[in-house]
Amino acid sequence: MYGLENISAHNGWAISFVGVTIVFTGLTLLCLTIAQLHKILDIWENKDKYINNRNHKTLTSTPANAVPKPCMPVEELETIRQYKMIADRLEQPFSLPKLLDIAVKIGLERPHSTINTLLVKKIIISDGKGYFIWTS
Amino acid sequence: MPAGLELLKSIDTFSTFTQEELEKIAPLVNPMKVMEGEILAKMGYRARTFFIVIKGNFLLSFKNGKAITLHNKGDIMGWSTLVAPFEYRGTVIALTNGEVLALPGQEFYLLLQSDSALCSKIMNEINSIIASRTPYHEV
Repeated sequence: MYGLENISAHNGWAISFVGVTIVFTGLTLLCLTIAQLHKILDIWENKDKYINNRNHKTLTSTPANAVPKPCMPVEELETIRQYKMIADRLEQPFSLPKLLDIAVKIGLERPHSTINTLLVKKIIISDGKGYFIWTS
Repeated sequence: MPAGLELLKSIDTFSTFTQEELEKIAPLVNPMKVMEGEILAKMGYRARTFFIVIKGNFLLSFKNGKAITLHNKGDIMGWSTLVAPFEYRGTVIALTNGEVLALPGQEFYLLLQSDSALCSKIMNEINSIIASRTPYHEV
């Protein structure tokens, strides 16, 4: 026996199919793993934040139909307080890029849009010379 | 009407430009979405792109810690693409998601070199921007 007959006689088709399936499944799993790798790395890099969030969630259970948090909760005094504390540590009037830089470094949530909201709400205003003043 | 032309017409800065002049600029215009926190230009780097704000909010910071914020349609960033030594004088960061028109600096520069009337109008705008921002560049 030669050729295709020989393949059929020794379960060649089934073996090939199993082989292809194993390889394909392996590649699919590899793709999915790589695709999700950034999430794992993100969790690893911000593990303290995740642990704190988890502890906080267990203490204050969130209702299932809770309204999602707005993108910039500037109304919350806490956010303003955090930025005010940074601004107070800088020389007055302060450098806005420096405030942004510190906010980014200490990991405040969405520092760019938060600072924009503070500007729009005139909590931070320009002194007209390139520096900024905290008004409230 | 091409999208670029329509967008240019909607900007006050270009209100004095003729249809023919706008048609010359329009092919160079690339509407571009920007993300919050995105850096559009970096101080000291070769100025390759000229930006016109369509929407969004931007922080323009200079080396001495001074900064200005841009919030209006038609605000211009990256004028250094048209002025020697063709290096960005400040860093531009998007404070929010937005949209800008990006013009490749070299092509825009060549266009202006080939059309003195257009060049004069653009440079008038650029000069007023330079004049208004010069105090921030100074240490």
